[in-house]
Amino acid sequence: MKRTVHLLLLTLSFLAASCSAGQEPFLPSSVEELAGHTVAVPEGSTTDLFLSQYKNIDLMRIGLGEMAVAVKNGRAEFAMVQETQFDATRMQDKGFRKCFSGLLKGVAALGFRKEDTLLCARFNAFLQEFIDSGEHERWYRGWTTNPDSMAVAVRQNTAPPEGEALVVGITLAFPFIYLKDEELSGLEVDMMDRFCRQAGFKPEYCIIDFPAMIPALHTHKTDILLSHMQVTPERAKQILFSDPYFEGSICCYGRDPDAGSLSKRSLSQTVINSVRTNLIEENYWKILLGGLLVTLEISCFSILLSVLLGAIFCFFRMRRSSLVSGFTKVLAETVQGIPVLVVLMIMCYVVFARSDISGVLVAIFSFGLFYGAVFCELFRAGMLSVDRGQWEAGAALGLGKFQVFRLIAFPQALRQIVPVFKGDVVSLIKSTAIVGYVAVMDLTNASNVIRARTFDSFFPLILISIIYIILSRLIGSALNALERRVNMTKQQ
Amino acid sequence: MISVKHLSKVFPNSGQPLTVLRDVNCEISKGEVISIIGPSGTGKSTLLRCLNRLEEPTGGQIEIDGEDILARDADVNKLRRKMGMVFQNFNLFAHLTILDNITLCPRTLLGESPEAAKARAFELLQLVGLRDKAGSLPGELSGGQKQRAAIARCLAMNPEIILFDEPTSALDPTMVSEVLAVIRQLAAQGMTMAIVSHEMDFVRSISSRIFFMYDGVIYEEGTPEQIFEHPQRPATVTFINKIRTLDFNLADRNFDLYGMFGRIESFCKKYGLGDKMFLNLEHVAEEILMQIVPFTGPVSLTIDYSEKTYKITMTIVQATPKGQGGQAGTVDSILDKLPENFLPLTIVRGFCSSLSEPLPGQLRVEFDSEKR
Repeated sequence: MKRTVHLLLLTLSFLAASCSAGQEPFLPSSVEELAGHTVAVPEGSTTDLFLSQYKNIDLMRIGLGEMAVAVKNGRAEFAMVQETQFDATRMQDKGFRKCFSGLLKGVAALGFRKEDTLLCARFNAFLQEFIDSGEHERWYRGWTTNPDSMAVAVRQNTAPPEGEALVVGITLAFPFIYLKDEELSGLEVDMMDRFCRQAGFKPEYCIIDFPAMIPALHTHKTDILLSHMQVTPERAKQILFSDPYFEGSICCYGRDPDAGSLSKRSLSQTVINSVRTNLIEENYWKILLGGLLVTLEISCFSILLSVLLGAIFCFFRMRRSSLVSGFTKVLAETVQGIPVLVVLMIMCYVVFARSDISGVLVAIFSFGLFYGAVFCELFRAGMLSVDRGQWEAGAALGLGKFQVFRLIAFPQALRQIVPVFKGDVVSLIKSTAIVGYVAVMDLTNASNVIRARTFDSFFPLILISIIYIILSRLIGSALNALERRVNMTKQQ
Repeated sequence: MISVKHLSKVFPNSGQPLTVLRDVNCEISKGEVISIIGPSGTGKSTLLRCLNRLEEPTGGQIEIDGEDILARDADVNKLRRKMGMVFQNFNLFAHLTILDNITLCPRTLLGESPEAAKARAFELLQLVGLRDKAGSLPGELSGGQKQRAAIARCLAMNPEIILFDEPTSALDPTMVSEVLAVIRQLAAQGMTMAIVSHEMDFVRSISSRIFFMYDGVIYEEGTPEQIFEHPQRPATVTFINKIRTLDFNLADRNFDLYGMFGRIESFCKKYGLGDKMFLNLEHVAEEILMQIVPFTGPVSLTIDYSEKTYKITMTIVQATPKGQGGQAGTVDSILDKLPENFLPLTIVRGFCSSLSEPLPGQLRVEFDSEKR
């Protein structure tokens, strides 16, 4: 195993090194000069809308966290980011160079549902006081110049807010909102905590993809959008904006051609460095571990639920009544005809839109239902593979229907089912990687969080791949043991 | 022991319902060995399967030891424990060893201890000659061995009667005798049995009574001697003598003679009658149809070949001509009208072993096949 991992790392690091080498340094100074180049923008952002007008710019719409990574490994030549963010992250020290700035000057505000005017007014009142007392300026300067010491100071000096629950939708972006020692921290979180403390709320932060932000608000998944969201007339039609709490502009950056190449270091140094920056610093390993536990939780309960549902569907599917079996058939085929990701989104934003059950439960229901439909057909095929004569022979000897099923048909069907079942279970575990779409912090999503902070896509992705492989192998060998038992027919 | 009255079974086929049993009445007493024979598709297996309700009868009555087993509250599972069944395809439980196949039901249903069930199983395996196969899986056995194991499994439930549903039909010819020997042994021990079989010699030697089924009823029943030596009714005779038939219906003398020759030839080939027999049949048919039969109305020609007696009979019937005023006319004798030395008649006589006219207008020509 160790050797395999080593070989894998070696191969991939060569690939990464080779594709990041040798690019002509070019530094544009205006949007016009970006023509003909690949530019990464956050999907659905105002920058996205703005740059879409320039037809000759090759836009790459990706998540906020992925942009720097894309620039670093050369998939995008340039990226657009909040200037505040670029400065606070000290990206100039991490191999990036600012090209030009001052683009799209605008203000950021909180988003509310149109009908929540009262809540919005309370926030505006708080904000006014915040600005008037001069706290606002100290707060803004502190977070944008020295976020880490600010975070420590905030944590030491204040108690967590208590009161009525308030779900706050966020996207991670340093220094506005980020994870520090597994806890949410940052400019916006600090402000929200201050507001909640004053107004008597207990904020529940819920990480959501930026494009899903407004739908999540409308479907009551969240009560407030806190995502350094720029106020635009289009957005103002859909949601209610508070007063602005900071001004910002967008800057364009690219790779710094003078930055030292990482690939000159030896492999072991690279690995040690990656482990340090991606796991040990900021206790990122704890985030990964938490993600792994969530992945395990979703996998295990989904498997149990899907087997149960599969058995129930199968039971009804095999009824003589054409109405019952037809209904189950249509249900199973419908569910199977939809991509599992879409099933998950439907569950989250349509079926359970109005209820406040957790994303983990939504994921378990979705995978349970989808794989329940898959297992229904599998179990049915297994049962049909048992010759009718076996049922007749059992019945002729005087066994009841259930006894024939339990003693004769089921053990024989199991032999057909288990080999396929094994593959399906492994694919279920792997497909849980998409739960990030409904804001669940699973293993994959945890790696996204780390990547967004360390700008290293290579190590976290390889690491979680290895974890997924180990998981699949463990489940696979557990099921292999089951398969051996099923096939061990001589039971003396 | 078993009494069946007016039993009927209709399969609700999509399209048109298929009546398999029309009206079956019979009695089976303890100690009897009943064989059920008859052409395919006449309801033999269905009758057997109705007896232990693997098929639900559509109508009628079945009583076992005076108990109505078709009653709504009848305990079917308990009933089936008293009636063993041996299937054409063995149906041994594929995932269990032979030993487990035999002990499964005694343990689960009769509450036998594992040791007792195992001891009994070995006794039965000894009886059917498979003691050394106790640990094998069904897939490792030959067809004959599987069927013997299935019989042992049946016996383990101590049934009062065993129903055999074509126990040797799925077997290689070389394996039939080992299974029949086991059944014979059971018969000798006085086991009550009902056997559906196509093994005529076996059936004849083992049965106390034979049911001949035809067209959804028990068409004729009797001792083996009555059925095999002196069958009374036409369908029984056809079946017992294994008669193969070829039919022609001819409207007038302008029929397709060469088409007829072609069919006669393929009939002869099919049953291995030889070229000479084909020529004989051809000449006789031609002479009779062209020269002898008056064709006062449609004529039918039938060739029967018995695979048991190897006799070939050609029957030519001159149908009754339409008389005046809608009344059926009468047919005159054909041979009486012809002179004794009429040449075509002489030719016909030369090719066959006998020519007669049992009824007016009906000629019967017999041939002896070279096979014997």
